[in-house]
Amino acid sequence: MLTTAPYLRTRGAPDAREFIISTLPPLTIPLRIALYTLHLLRVVLGLGVLLLLYSIWTLSPYGSPPPPATGYRITSERSTCPAYTSTSSLPLPSKAQIQDFLAAALSSVPGRLCTHIAKAAPAWILVPAAVAWLYTLTLRIHTEERLLVLRGLGVQASSTKDTLLGGGATTRFIPADKIQDVVINEAFRGFRPISYLVVVVEGEADVVVVFPKLLPHKRVVEQVWRGVKDCLYERPRGRNWALDADGKV
Amino acid sequence: MPEHDGLMRVFWPVDIARSDLPGVIVGWRNSGSDFVVVTVLDHVDPKSVENALKTDILLRNAPHSRPRIFEICGQSSMHVLGLINATPNIEYDPSWVRATTNAADRVPILTCPKASSIQIILFERPIPLRMQYISLDPIVLSLADKDDTSLYSVYDGAKAEGERLDKKNKEKNVELVEKRTGHMVLKHAPSKKNRALARIVNQINWTWELEHLLQKNVALIGTRPKRTLSVSERVVEHATTMRDHVILWVWDMIVLYAFPIIRTAFVFALLAHRLAAEVLLLILEWRARPNSPALKDISATAQQVEIRLQQFCYWPMQYVKLRLRKNDWESVTTSHPDYIRFYNSLWLVANDVIIGIALGSYIIDNADWVADTINMLLGQYTINALQSSISWLMGWPAGLKLNSELALFLGDLFLWVIDYWASCIQKLQPLLPRIVWFIGFSSFAGASLPIALFSDLLSMLTVHIYSFYLASARIFHWQLTILLSLFQLFQGKKYNVLRNRVDSCDYDLDQLLVGTILFTLLFFLLPTVIVFYLNFALARMVIITFKAVFDTMLSCLNHFPLFALMLRTKDPRRLPGGIRFELRDTQNRHIINPKATTHFQSPTSVIILKPTPLKFRAMFHQYFQMGSRIRKHYLSPRVLFCLVTGRFVPPIHRQNLYSLQYSMLPARRAGIMEMWEALNSLPAKKRPVKLHPYGVTTNVNMNGRRHMNGRTTREL
Repeated sequence: MLTTAPYLRTRGAPDAREFIISTLPPLTIPLRIALYTLHLLRVVLGLGVLLLLYSIWTLSPYGSPPPPATGYRITSERSTCPAYTSTSSLPLPSKAQIQDFLAAALSSVPGRLCTHIAKAAPAWILVPAAVAWLYTLTLRIHTEERLLVLRGLGVQASSTKDTLLGGGATTRFIPADKIQDVVINEAFRGFRPISYLVVVVEGEADVVVVFPKLLPHKRVVEQVWRGVKDCLYERPRGRNWALDADGKV
Repeated sequence: MPEHDGLMRVFWPVDIARSDLPGVIVGWRNSGSDFVVVTVLDHVDPKSVENALKTDILLRNAPHSRPRIFEICGQSSMHVLGLINATPNIEYDPSWVRATTNAADRVPILTCPKASSIQIILFERPIPLRMQYISLDPIVLSLADKDDTSLYSVYDGAKAEGERLDKKNKEKNVELVEKRTGHMVLKHAPSKKNRALARIVNQINWTWELEHLLQKNVALIGTRPKRTLSVSERVVEHATTMRDHVILWVWDMIVLYAFPIIRTAFVFALLAHRLAAEVLLLILEWRARPNSPALKDISATAQQVEIRLQQFCYWPMQYVKLRLRKNDWESVTTSHPDYIRFYNSLWLVANDVIIGIALGSYIIDNADWVADTINMLLGQYTINALQSSISWLMGWPAGLKLNSELALFLGDLFLWVIDYWASCIQKLQPLLPRIVWFIGFSSFAGASLPIALFSDLLSMLTVHIYSFYLASARIFHWQLTILLSLFQLFQGKKYNVLRNRVDSCDYDLDQLLVGTILFTLLFFLLPTVIVFYLNFALARMVIITFKAVFDTMLSCLNHFPLFALMLRTKDPRRLPGGIRFELRDTQNRHIINPKATTHFQSPTSVIILKPTPLKFRAMFHQYFQMGSRIRKHYLSPRVLFCLVTGRFVPPIHRQNLYSLQYSMLPARRAGIMEMWEALNSLPAKKRPVKLHPYGVTTNVNMNGRRHMNGRTTREL
């Protein structure tokens, strides 16, 4: 429901055109709401996993023992960290406040559930599982890959990163004088042949694959290829790349 | 190539001052329709600007040589590119662009009658004073002036097969690339615009500095009133700047008289240091025969000392290079990697010393405890554990019925050597606190030195395990070879050395009989030998792992890209990793500005040029390379084969491992004379005539006058 099959969209002027292949369907209001709820759910689940990690930490021999009852805590604060009480006027939360907050989180219902889980299963299973779960929570739902063609400047291929933490997209700009050619290549992937767009870069052993993650259908690739040729090179007189029906030059 | 289409390309700095005043756009004209805007000069006549640009009036008072600008930017002069917010009645060149700005939008609206379509490429100017710049290729942090192969040219009897395989792969790749070039159907000749990009990148890097220079000089051509200060104003200025005059005068005296003395003394100290380093380096690099290992190939300590000495030899040269940077424009970006390299290595050494002082004082304070611990560990793990494991093998280990006699013989042999070794260690024991104290003391020269010393100590104190491993491997290998050839005999075959193949052979009955009996005997004795071999091979592997940990620590202390990481978080623009473009949506621009579309407006696409910072992966590229090298060496099937057949597993060559650390040093260190010349070529410290070439723009005039005054006072 949240994703579609990769589809092509273009924008920009004829001399600066961007080809976008994305799995994100056009944003409608229900979809927006669904996405926001999903993000909220992710944040909540992430916090839950962090709480679980904290409860594992408190149960481990290295961590501090779970904070005891309130009366005792106040005396211990006074005796151990007098320095923090003086700095409590600062907007930054003091150490005691953080401890209070953590203790409150641990004694809440999810906190007790986490402690229960942490007691039930050994730490060496729980910690890797929690880390793996955190990683899956940061994964992106949609993949978007772009090819920006600027006449006179070059082409730029970019694709979104796998996780939300990695920042925007990985981009690779190839200056126009380094582009040897833009071709459609065929290869086997598993048991089926695929066609993919390739930029051959001068002086480099490896070619640059455009849309490496989504690897769109041949029809789309061909369309993009024609578009790239059209946009990148000045059209010789009486010649039209787009009209070359058989794809040969 | 003539331009067929009227595509006009304008690089526009977004952060130049914006105003609604009429002005002249000045910049580089790379071709008839390829402009890089440098600045906008307000309230001047375009004709006089053009003349001033031709006669270099606008570049007057340049702090450094003017031809250098044109050399790097690749054009012979700047031009008037167009007018901004001009009144319609002004006459202008058809090739000029007309720009209009409005307060709401950062992007100017450009029109040009010649162009059918326009690309505006917006960029934020890198600030050369902060050493920011953009580049098409990622910045290279390691010195790449040498071949990798030169490192292993000597002493590579056991040159890894992987290297040869790598080379073969590379050759194959080159061949494939050539083939691919042949397959290209149509060759597109790059147009002028395509080729200009590298030049444009330089021009963009220069924009900031040139803009400041032009803005400073615009008063020379403009009609702006030039007013000299009145007498009373002068008196006030003198009074307010009196303190500065005195400080400036004192500083000038210091520069004039004290500096040369300090400088000469420093140069001589450096030279003396360099001489001492040369002697030490010669000792460290001395080889008895061209193929024998030098001291630095054997010992980690020697290697560490060598790296430090090499760094000390290289620093003056690097410093000279960086000092010469000051005599050039700030926008020249070629020495920025050198700057990063120099400060990275300085910082690493400082860090190393700081950690070393902490570590050293701890070790010295607890020398007895450390010595006891080392002694205990040595006794427990390298002697007692070995002894008990050997005695365990001499019985029937894990219910395995070995040959008791052979096991007893081998075990006794090893136990006897261990006993002797234990007595040696015993003799060493009273010395150990002294050694530990020495190690602790050495760590004031950096934490890497005690680590290297511990690494060497480990290899020295476990030399018996190494020799056991060698001996048992030799026995095992010998037995395995005999078994193989006897197996051939058992089958009635024989290995033909001349033809390098197995031939069938008619053996006599007695030959067959004796061979078979020997085969049976050796075959039944094999498990006993295998068990001993495995025991020692395992111990050896553990030691190699420990040494690998030490080596990793060393390489982290010596090579970690600390400075680069800091720059990456502080100011990513100082570590350019290429550029990227973003296309901005332009549909609604025309709708918002209906007034601008009154006259002809060509379709415009707005593109934003952004620098991409260097990837973290590229920063740690050397580490990845080293990791893959180690993996190739130790986790290859060849090593497994060597282990299984009892052949000696060659340790990875130190040079191979340390190529990481040498990547920060030149392949050949500069000679003493070279250094002397370089140090003397340094220009003398400038007297403080111009302290701030780009002071805050408001008091540029004040600065100039103040300096003039400073000079006159001195002459009086």
